[in-house]
Amino acid sequence: MRKKALLAIFTAGAVAGGLVSTKALAQTEELTPEQEIKLVQEFNRMLAEGINPGEVWYEVGKDAIKKYNLDKCDLGLGPGVFKGAAAQLPRYFADAGRVMDLETRVGWCLQKHAGMTQDQVLKFVRQCWGKTGNCVSEYDGIIMYLTMESNGHKINVNLKDPKVKKMYDVGKQIYYARIGPWDFNCATCHAGKQEVRIRATRLWSADRPGEAGNAVAIFPKYLVRWGLPMTMHYRYAECMRQMRWPEFLPHSDLAVALSTYLYATGNGTEIKAPGIGR
Amino acid sequence: MKRIALTVSAILLLFATAEPKQKKAQPKKQEATSVQQEAMKVLMSGFSTDPRFTWKTQQDEAQRICSQYPSMEAMPAQAIQKVIQLSQADLRYPQWGIFWGDWREGKKIVENPRGGRFASYGFSDSPTDKGGNCYACHLIEKGMPGGTMGPNLYQYGKRWNITKENMNTQEALERVKAVYNIIYNSWSAFPCSSMPRFGHNGALSPEDVMNIVTYLLHPDSPVNK
Repeated sequence: MRKKALLAIFTAGAVAGGLVSTKALAQTEELTPEQEIKLVQEFNRMLAEGINPGEVWYEVGKDAIKKYNLDKCDLGLGPGVFKGAAAQLPRYFADAGRVMDLETRVGWCLQKHAGMTQDQVLKFVRQCWGKTGNCVSEYDGIIMYLTMESNGHKINVNLKDPKVKKMYDVGKQIYYARIGPWDFNCATCHAGKQEVRIRATRLWSADRPGEAGNAVAIFPKYLVRWGLPMTMHYRYAECMRQMRWPEFLPHSDLAVALSTYLYATGNGTEIKAPGIGR
Repeated sequence: MKRIALTVSAILLLFATAEPKQKKAQPKKQEATSVQQEAMKVLMSGFSTDPRFTWKTQQDEAQRICSQYPSMEAMPAQAIQKVIQLSQADLRYPQWGIFWGDWREGKKIVENPRGGRFASYGFSDSPTDKGGNCYACHLIEKGMPGGTMGPNLYQYGKRWNITKENMNTQEALERVKAVYNIIYNSWSAFPCSSMPRFGHNGALSPEDVMNIVTYLLHPDSPVNK
């Protein structure tokens, strides 16, 4: 019965993905006004009916975790203990000698337990990047599964650990670093007390209480226009592309520093994955 | 040989400037610089080593100063002055001088959201895309949707009382120059502003910038209708 329901949801997702996956969109992400209207209608319909095709990736991830031996993966609560594990990340891992966020840790586990090389992991992570329409990535599934296992748990990054605190400080500093040919930093859009919009999009701010937490607690977030869930590291990569920064490397310390800053700022927020957005 | 001499002198210079600072610095300040250095290291380690991106990783002095403060209000006067000084020294003007350009060309650049974005996985702009994406942050022409991050520019020329009769007076052309300076290098007027330094960074040419100024101020432009 559950499978059938999921199939229906997935078909809806495929339709939504197919709706906007024209040839032009494969190369660009700007929409014509007609596409934009269709997209908003589809998004509103899903929101009204409470449909989130992103949930399909939970099942994909469940299978992938078995396939890639990730039931041996220790997210900090013990091997294979996933309930609530994502909520206490990023944290320091002695076996890796690094502070890691969820995605970085999964990458580490893929190398350790699935025998992948670093390059293979990167390819695995980015298999659906830049794609619109129907692209189902096992990696997205794994991240979706592991995050959804923490749904209802409150984000609890342990800033009392000096190693985590240091990453938090570094992340905060990076948040304000202005580089690149367009002079942007994260704070250009996501800081400040005053509420502003970029075109029609209202921007969240790390300076307004609760907003950073609400922003990160819904990742991976299903994007109607691409028909797939966007993980946090994909989101970082897309931010940096739009900021005209150099290309972002997933599972880097840069990602961990940003995650530490953002998730710790959002401490206390309940995880509610997947979110949904246009 | 020359390069070695240059490196040595650069290192000496670094020591010369760094040492007195370190002596004066309180322990807390030292900690702050070490976090800053660590942050830059972590930041650079998170970027693709593709040689096409190398030029984007160079942080200039003004960017370095602006990175230290969350807002202009938090900046000490000295830092503000330094950014303004660096930015004003860099202003360059079109071949034809400080004079009206073509508002139609300016309008195209203002409305074009594309330009400068590149990632190896896709969603990249083409090298010939040349847009300022101005509507992302500004409201400009009547009835056109835009953002609210920057000031509303509706009837910008009209607000400065620029008319067909006075548009070639010295006063009006001074206004053209002032607006030009803001678009070419916003930090020359508003240090560390969110607005990209379009001319300084080469995203737009001096001629492009002047065409945008013309679009904003010219009495014939739809902005001022």
